[in-house]
Amino acid sequence: MKKNNPKLTITLFSVLVGVLLASQMKLNVELLTPVTVKSILDAKKEIVSVRNEIDELEKIALEREAKLETLESINTGDANIIDILEADVNDNITKAGYSTLKGPGIEIIMYDNIGDNIGFNFNDYIIHDVDIMNIINDLRVAGAEAISINDQRIIATSEIKCGGPIIRVNGKSIGTPFVIKVIGDPQMLMAAVSAPGTYGDTLMKIYGIGLQPYIKDQVDVPGYSGPFQFNYAKPMEEGE
Amino acid sequence: MVYALIGILIGATIGFLLPYTYNTAYTLYISVAILACLDSVFGGIRANLENKFNTKIFISGFFGNAILAAFLAYIGDRLGFPLYYAAIFTFGSRLFDNFARIRRLWLFKEKPAKTEK
Repeated sequence: MKKNNPKLTITLFSVLVGVLLASQMKLNVELLTPVTVKSILDAKKEIVSVRNEIDELEKIALEREAKLETLESINTGDANIIDILEADVNDNITKAGYSTLKGPGIEIIMYDNIGDNIGFNFNDYIIHDVDIMNIINDLRVAGAEAISINDQRIIATSEIKCGGPIIRVNGKSIGTPFVIKVIGDPQMLMAAVSAPGTYGDTLMKIYGIGLQPYIKDQVDVPGYSGPFQFNYAKPMEEGE
Repeated sequence: MVYALIGILIGATIGFLLPYTYNTAYTLYISVAILACLDSVFGGIRANLENKFNTKIFISGFFGNAILAAFLAYIGDRLGFPLYYAAIFTFGSRLFDNFARIRRLWLFKEKPAKTEK
């Protein structure tokens, strides 16, 4: 065999290329997408959100550490356990919605369409349970901390139910005009019900339903006073 | 051309039959290297058809290009900049250049008769 046989050399090296190709194919790698500016930006956003999450978790960790410190101070006798537990109970009562709260916020007065004739369907003229629910959801999105309708506090289990000409909240019947009191950032709450394109704006402009929000320096939201009991739900043991 | 294809087929069969695999982290480097090798093979075929084939140049090009391409890909990975594009564009376009030349040599039989040894 001649030493410089081009065909043989090329064939031999083609075999090598083939081996490489086959071993590459065997690995079945997913497509390597080229790095684009968009993908870099997406990755950046992801990193930012993960970092925010980490920050929040660190805050929670700090809170827990502070709690641990207070508990340890009970052990050393610096603080009274009864005081701490009472503060805890009060805090939980407030969070559960059993206490009357005050703070800056808005008050919305809603009443049925009494003036303009917009059609023949009387359902378009009146406020429905869904209208109230949507408004309340918008308020919660805007960071509402406490909400009441006609002095019925909205808590975690509160229902808003259609009851013919009235609506039922917390098992109590309430009728128009509805007075919704909300505590939260007044500007945000105002925007949530009256900015163009919001549900409240649509109700007002298209259906002619009365919806008047007012900013108030102090809104008093009454606490919930009814019964509250879980029959089915039970707390999960830690580490379960 | 035909013997290169046969060689690649034989190699692929061997490669599929061999139990060896490598770490998936190296796939980028290997694929760029494969492109460089393919380009070398095409270059070799063309040189052969033009009767200018030199084994030293072929072998050095085969391994040198492959290593350089893989190295570029590696450096690019380290620097966070896709340097292997350079290898892909260069070898890709050369591949087509070589193939175009091979086609012309084949179709118009420009090659001298004495090439067939």
